Amino acid sequence: MLKIENLHAEIDGKPILKGLSLTVNAGEVHAIMGPNGAGKSTLGYVLGGRPGYEVTAGSVTFDGHDLLDMDTHDRAAAGLFLGFQYPVEIPGVSNVQFLREALNAQRKSRGEAPLSGAEFLKLARAQADLLGMNQEMLKRPVNVGFSGGEKKRNEMVQMGIIAPKFAILDETDSGLDIDALKAVGEGINRIMRAPDKAVLLITHYERLLEYVEPDHVHVLVDGRIVRSGGPELAKQLEAEGYAEVAA
Amino acid sequence: MTTLTLPSRREEAWRWSKLDALRALADQPHGTALIADDHFIGLGGPRLVFVDGVLDADRSTPGRVRVEPLDLATDHPLGKQATGPGWRLTLDTDQATDPIEIVHIATGGANHLPARITLGEDAAATIVETYVGAGWSNRLTQITLARSARLMRSVRMLQSSGFISHRDEAQVGEGASLVSIFLGAGGMDCRVDGALHCTGAAAYAEMGGALLTQGEQNQEAAVSLRHDALDGQSHQTWRAVAKDRSTASLAARVEVARGAQKTDGEQSLRGLLLDRTSTINLKPELEIFADDVKCAHGATVGELDRTALFYLTSRGIAPARAKALLTRAFVADALSRIGTEAVRDAFTADADRWLERAL
Repeated sequence: MLKIENLHAEIDGKPILKGLSLTVNAGEVHAIMGPNGAGKSTLGYVLGGRPGYEVTAGSVTFDGHDLLDMDTHDRAAAGLFLGFQYPVEIPGVSNVQFLREALNAQRKSRGEAPLSGAEFLKLARAQADLLGMNQEMLKRPVNVGFSGGEKKRNEMVQMGIIAPKFAILDETDSGLDIDALKAVGEGINRIMRAPDKAVLLITHYERLLEYVEPDHVHVLVDGRIVRSGGPELAKQLEAEGYAEVAA
Repeated sequence: MTTLTLPSRREEAWRWSKLDALRALADQPHGTALIADDHFIGLGGPRLVFVDGVLDADRSTPGRVRVEPLDLATDHPLGKQATGPGWRLTLDTDQATDPIEIVHIATGGANHLPARITLGEDAAATIVETYVGAGWSNRLTQITLARSARLMRSVRMLQSSGFISHRDEAQVGEGASLVSIFLGAGGMDCRVDGALHCTGAAAYAEMGGALLTQGEQNQEAAVSLRHDALDGQSHQTWRAVAKDRSTASLAARVEVARGAQKTDGEQSLRGLLLDRTSTINLKPELEIFADDVKCAHGATVGELDRTALFYLTSRGIAPARAKALLTRAFVADALSRIGTEAVRDAFTADADRWLERAL
């Protein structure tokens, strides 16, 4: 589904990704782990198409298409979802309005009919319920006044509504208490664990992987994947630390 | 040639004004009128159509509004040119009227129209004014609100070109409330000018709105709000959005007189630059002679938040639409002050149309 080959990327002329290769097949969950500054979030932003992140070499194909050649919003319409480490607050735009616009823009570009206000609300309420998010929060401005945990739940509600093919979840576990971590983990499994979907979990700690078991774990150090393995690699990292495992 | 005396940019109060075109407009002939029906919101109350400042009686149902010679005294350099017949709304104690809609159609050249609004004790009125067409529309409106009277006024400036100069002078009595909200979402230049006096205790005055400019447009609002009595409250919430090489300027002044203790004034001036070539000028001013007052004020100019834009586009929203959503949210604060939902929706729709054209 996603094939990254020899990816090099830089920000403001500073190289961050230095030859990263990774293949994620449909039905798989991959975890990318690594120390601070390894390039984990940069990988997420480069795949998501954030301006300012310049790809200097390599390629990324998504479902056979050149992902790097697509605009940010077209990547979303093609089925890519980026869960933010720090979800953005947008005063004056309600969650409902934002998500309905987003979903219908994606549906339009795929040639599907837009959802009516009533159809959308039904879908949004159902997803909010499943993630344990208060329905009142759907009416509130996007992430404004939300706690860290509420913002991450909101990311999962968005993912549930948009139902992407491929989700890149950047430190979705950071700032979560145990209950929220469990809810978010269950959300990821429910929404994304399917034969035709895939997930790239970017994380610092192993604790989310107790709820979402990855098929493959990769260690990212200094812009490259230095080691890959099964779920046991995450446990080894937790026990021994990055320095030991990556050496 | 008309001899027109215009204020100079060397005068502080007119430093951001661009009035040069007014001389040429003053000498141009009128043209053909637009259809007025397209510009009524449909509030079910009296309707007035002025074509080049003259009442079109066939298309108007003025209700309590009278059109008659008005002799308004002012020293405002543009306002004092609005002489001759004008419209007058006078409500006695406890009287109220259905929402009044006024459409000003300009067909080219210059037109001037004075207006007088006098509300007796506990009287209430809602007035919506819409400017369309082309040319120079010059207005002077004098307002007197007696004790506990309430006036809600919404003015949208949608002319495709030309200039709108709109001068308000108001006296707000004890416990009375005046709210005037403006939207500049056309292709014309404008100057919204206000001198509001809270003369009675616990009076409430508000003047604010949104100015949206693009191309080479120049729009400005210059409001002075004076508290003369105890316990007064005032709000000035203005938003300016400028694109291309346009300029939007906001000057808002609050004066609190020596005896006007417990005044609570709030002033929020915010500008959004959609291009690096556009200009926004903000000038908040406070002059306070009482010692027990609260006057909050804020003035900021910035660009759209790039992280927020990325967040919206990463969810599938096209960049132009994402910009429109964020800009709409930016101006929403100012338009949310309009009390009547149908009017607020109509003004928001006008702002949306501007955004769709501009972005």
